[in-house]
Amino acid sequence: MRPFRLTLRVALVAAGTLLCKPLPAVAQTTLNVVTAGDQNMVDYVNNYLGPKFEAQNPGVKVRAVGTGPGDAGSQKIYEKLSAQQKAGTAAWDTDVAVVHQRGAATMVKESLLAPYTKEVSAGKMATRDSSRNALGQNVEGYVIPMFHSQIAFAYNPAVVKQPPKSYAELAEWVKKNPKQFGYNGVKGGMSGVGFVMGWVNANAGMGDQLVKGPYDASKKAVIDKSLASLKDFNQYVVMTPGNAGTLDMLNRGEIAMGPVWVDMFYTWVADGKMPPNVKLELPQPGLPGQPMYYVVPAKAANAALAKKFIDFAASPEIQAEGIVKQFNWYPGIDAQYVKAKMDEKSWNKLFTDITPDALASYGKPFPLSEYFTDILESYERVVLK
Amino acid sequence: MNRRSWAGLALASPALAIVAVFFIGPLVMSAVLAVRGKDGGLTTEHFAKAFEYYSTDLAFSAAIVVLSTLGIGIVAIAIAGYLTLGEHPRTLAFLRWLYRWPLFIPFIVTAQVMRTFLAKNGMLNHVLIGSGLIEPLQAQSLLDWRGIVIAFIWKQAPFVTLLLAGAMAAIDRQHIEAARNLGASRLRVLFEIVLPQARRTLLVGLVLSFVAMLSVLSVPMMINPNSPTMLTVDIAYRINSHGDYAVANALCLMSLVLASFGAWFYLREAARKAQA
Repeated sequence: MRPFRLTLRVALVAAGTLLCKPLPAVAQTTLNVVTAGDQNMVDYVNNYLGPKFEAQNPGVKVRAVGTGPGDAGSQKIYEKLSAQQKAGTAAWDTDVAVVHQRGAATMVKESLLAPYTKEVSAGKMATRDSSRNALGQNVEGYVIPMFHSQIAFAYNPAVVKQPPKSYAELAEWVKKNPKQFGYNGVKGGMSGVGFVMGWVNANAGMGDQLVKGPYDASKKAVIDKSLASLKDFNQYVVMTPGNAGTLDMLNRGEIAMGPVWVDMFYTWVADGKMPPNVKLELPQPGLPGQPMYYVVPAKAANAALAKKFIDFAASPEIQAEGIVKQFNWYPGIDAQYVKAKMDEKSWNKLFTDITPDALASYGKPFPLSEYFTDILESYERVVLK
Repeated sequence: MNRRSWAGLALASPALAIVAVFFIGPLVMSAVLAVRGKDGGLTTEHFAKAFEYYSTDLAFSAAIVVLSTLGIGIVAIAIAGYLTLGEHPRTLAFLRWLYRWPLFIPFIVTAQVMRTFLAKNGMLNHVLIGSGLIEPLQAQSLLDWRGIVIAFIWKQAPFVTLLLAGAMAAIDRQHIEAARNLGASRLRVLFEIVLPQARRTLLVGLVLSFVAMLSVLSVPMMINPNSPTMLTVDIAYRINSHGDYAVANALCLMSLVLASFGAWFYLREAARKAQA
């Protein structure tokens, strides 16, 4: 028995010492940053933004939590905030959230967010349409875009000498080159969803009504009709498993062309996971892109610190160095402020294949959320049946 | 009730409470949400929608899982049969060591491995082309229903083999030896002497695999998330992209009906065993 008791005592003492470890001299405040999106979003906060902000603000610890890619990630943040609102919690444990447009629109509608952009200097530098309007919902004052991302066609110029310049040309092209174009449907990530939205935009003849409204439920028939041709188109293409799946298949040479997120594409090229000769192309009449937003929940526990954090994250220096140079996103705040902080070469790298003009003309917002849902459901009813 | 049965009930109550809170409760909630309309009234619209959109996927899920279960049965009988009747000691030892590996690999890892292994320009086709078995132009991607079936069989067959090999080992060796002495081939011994005696264990293993495969999200999600796909992908999609718990719950109940075939089978076998 004895040796056992001794061991126990030693263990207890050891545990006690560990527990009573002296606390740091400065009281710690933890800033909880919850971000939707792929792992690169969490990496960005943990490896880049967090350490820089902590260095400037002693006693602050930035903790990033990821909730997963696509609208699903934003949906989880929404559900959490909504639950805290319904429970009547006084201080919500999310200080800063990074969400997609659809999530931001719902959160503003249900008063889950605090207006803050007037109180931070970066607020004046974000004046693009996307900082006021998210899928038809007015979000002015509640959001600052962290970055903009864009969907484009990636193609292998060794196989595709003359890439189709429009959706109409693509529909012809796939018939001549069956199984060379691949996309990921609507259940495998947003690049496929964006491709389908672009298809409806190109074929439904609804013009700006899709993105500007007003919403008209009777247009469902028009959407159905425009997607009937996509069913035919699908016979000549490959369905890929996910956003990364399209890139994978391009990389292995199994397809020659497909819609991808521009930032993911550049990251893959930089990591050597994609042949550097693969190029991007933005077809007419356009593919959608979207920002992700920095938002502050209505009852964030550390609201003041949260605003300071966003002001820092959206500053031109950080946008230039972190967003554009390291992570290959298009800047969230207006381009002229960011460009001034960068060398010409890094800035131009972002626009190698897609010129700023093409981006301005053919980079579209996603449709209004009602149309968005109608199109997804119509795809399941018309194309997948 | 006498004192003894009260004590028994008290002892069982924590377990019963866990079943009630974590299984029966959510199940009832799920059923309620699936039939509750926006106004709170009773409705079948969610089921109607689930059928309209996903009846193909329901049939696809059932077909995939039945096919995989058959495949698992064949592989398990082959391996367990050789382990019981095989005569080459080194092959036996090697097989015994090798076949269990997939047991320790999670479904999602299996899916990830298959995703690169079965792709058009993946490892399998490289090997086939390299060994001259197929021409490069014949190479095709197996990342569709076949990929899912292959992943399921690869992952679940060892589990059933483990159960089956145990049951076969428990059979009296004299039966086997008697049959061999009378000149029966090993194949005949397997199908006429060994397998009938281990049949019940095989069925139980297959039913458990059947139910497990129905609930796997990662494999269809990573190998073939496009149409037609399995119900699990659709359930995740309804929740993640639409926040639509009602249709998702309707789909859950539909896959519960599929799974309950397995449960019914299992209970029937268990009842027979209890009688015997």
